[in-house]
Amino acid sequence: MKRKTLYILLLISAFVFGSLPTKAQEPFFSYTYDYWGEPVPAPHAFLPTNRIDGFTLGIDHFDNPRDLFAADDGRLFIADTGNNRIVVLGNDLRSAEILKNFETPDGTQAFYQPEGVFVTKGGDIYIADTGNSRIIHLDNEGKYVRTIGSPKADIIPADFVFSPTKLAVDNAGRIYVVASGVTQGIMMLDAYGIFRGFIGASRVTPGVMDIFWRAVATEAQRERMLLFVPTEFNNITIDDEGFLYVTTDKLSYWDILHAVNARSRDDRVAPVRKLNPTGVDVLRREGFFPPVGDVYFDYMEQSQLVDVSVADYGIYSVLDRRKGRIFTYDPDGNLLFIFGGLGGARLGTFRNPVAIERIGDRILVLDSMRASITIFDITEYGSLLKDAVVLHRTGDYEASTEKWREVLRRNSNSDLAYIGMGMAYMRKDDFSSALEHFRLGAMRERYSRAFQLYRREVIGRNFGIIALLLLVPLVTFVLIRRRNGKLTGKRPQYD
Amino acid sequence: MIEVLNGLKYTSHLIFHPFDGFWDLKHEKRGNLKAAVVIIVLLCITFILRRQMTGFIFNLSDPDELNIVNEILSVILPFALWCVSNWCLTSLMEGEGSFKDIIITSAFALTPLILVNVPLLFISNALTIHEGAFYHFFNSLAVLWAGVLLILGTMVLHQYTLTRTLLTSIFIVVGMGVIIFIGLLFFSMLQQMFAFVYTVYLEISLRM
Repeated sequence: MKRKTLYILLLISAFVFGSLPTKAQEPFFSYTYDYWGEPVPAPHAFLPTNRIDGFTLGIDHFDNPRDLFAADDGRLFIADTGNNRIVVLGNDLRSAEILKNFETPDGTQAFYQPEGVFVTKGGDIYIADTGNSRIIHLDNEGKYVRTIGSPKADIIPADFVFSPTKLAVDNAGRIYVVASGVTQGIMMLDAYGIFRGFIGASRVTPGVMDIFWRAVATEAQRERMLLFVPTEFNNITIDDEGFLYVTTDKLSYWDILHAVNARSRDDRVAPVRKLNPTGVDVLRREGFFPPVGDVYFDYMEQSQLVDVSVADYGIYSVLDRRKGRIFTYDPDGNLLFIFGGLGGARLGTFRNPVAIERIGDRILVLDSMRASITIFDITEYGSLLKDAVVLHRTGDYEASTEKWREVLRRNSNSDLAYIGMGMAYMRKDDFSSALEHFRLGAMRERYSRAFQLYRREVIGRNFGIIALLLLVPLVTFVLIRRRNGKLTGKRPQYD
Repeated sequence: MIEVLNGLKYTSHLIFHPFDGFWDLKHEKRGNLKAAVVIIVLLCITFILRRQMTGFIFNLSDPDELNIVNEILSVILPFALWCVSNWCLTSLMEGEGSFKDIIITSAFALTPLILVNVPLLFISNALTIHEGAFYHFFNSLAVLWAGVLLILGTMVLHQYTLTRTLLTSIFIVVGMGVIIFIGLLFFSMLQQMFAFVYTVYLEISLRM
């Protein structure tokens, strides 16, 4: 009897525990887009490993945090907007330090709704103190240095309310500010905090209809028409070489749809831009589609890019707030991988992601509603892909080819890997293999180049046969005609 | 069989001598309906082959989305619309051609599309992007040639002047649009009618 009960218990436990998954299912699907704009499943490039919030840090919960910044010394800065404070995490991301009040010559002051934070290489901390309409500059230890107030210039209206939200500082100390309500571009302040102008304003190209209406409008109407609104930026990042990456989510559904369908490569409809110091967009858009986030989307469901983060060698990731996805592109604008999703309860999903940062091979995403930071670690597949791109950039083609081969073993849908392999075959002068790989990677330009060389090779190798094949029928034809006594062709005659 | 072959052979004369060619096509009975059907079938085949076998560099169609029915319809439908619209208008505008003549003339006028596109299939497999100009030139040439033949054919068939033909051709194209519109209207009305009858039936059957 006892034995029987034991057996039954064993059987039940076998069913119960046997059916439990041995490994938790990943909370999202990873994918890329192929040449035709179809989403294609791909292995995960990044997987969530941890979540940091006020509780894990042993401080008050975050309240609507808006910005994240990974300083070069390994510290992580969080603009905890709702709590009017800046939280500084140590290298281990466990200990927290809080910046709330600071001593100025005019007495103790506090932040009010700070939405952005930036730390220079030297460790100077710049805080967009949005609610107080100012930028606060603190030194390495958090000691007050100066306040930069509302910029003054002829082109700024007198009633302008300065609400800086995001900022970046270059090596020369110039400050680039994204302020809400500003549609002329990024505000550039010099090292002394004096306004020097707007940069990166999007070109406004009037359409045919605009020109038509302009032509028929009266003088008074024309006056009012001058006010068509260019892009408003929402975030800014600066890379090691001093290029600014800016994002916007103010582009219309139709504009994005058109840019995708036309495979546009110019900067007019571009939710992410890379600006050189003079404010000209230099982002390469050589991928199958321009970097706009999702390529396939429903009406009004286009990606809403809210932040960008740049890794080494110009690989950058953008964050889509609408679907909670992170899109990573190589410096040429090829889509590498997509991961992330909405949700909130499960690790790796978000409710309202607002900022993205990189620390080495980690990606950190700040969720303002969930009031937490999710840490994603790179997978084997992700690092193979990254290494392949980086090795190719640095000119180590042999090693790069090996990596592409490994990528292909894990994802036979990877167009980029086929193209990478094709380029390797090109260097080995194996044109027919190169052709095959470029065809699989849907890369027509390179295919054409490979084909040109392949054709030359084939013709060169088989010149005798080709010449013979062309000559023999010609000679036969001429001979037969001559025998018949006619060189001109006899055609059926219709009167 | 032999008349079909003779008809097809005649195209080589017709496409280079359109004025004489189209005149004889009707009055010397050089063409016939069977040959016209064969030309249209060949044109359908050409379109399918072009979609599938054009060289990778110039082939921008997604192989996943091949639908032979669509390809065939993309030839037959415009052709049928053109013929019907042509007949409708020219009957009103003192045209000389019968509906059969219109079908034969229009079909024979489209032969350059076959004659140019089939060799182009092979050539497209041997060209690079930089030589693409040739490909696109011959592609446009075929369309242009067929278009000119179509207009000249209409002109000779109905014994119109050139200006009248051009005007009629514009009307024919407008007429094609009108036919499509009426067709869609008809189908939508039919659908509504069916829906109405069905609801009445449902209503009655549920109350019985």
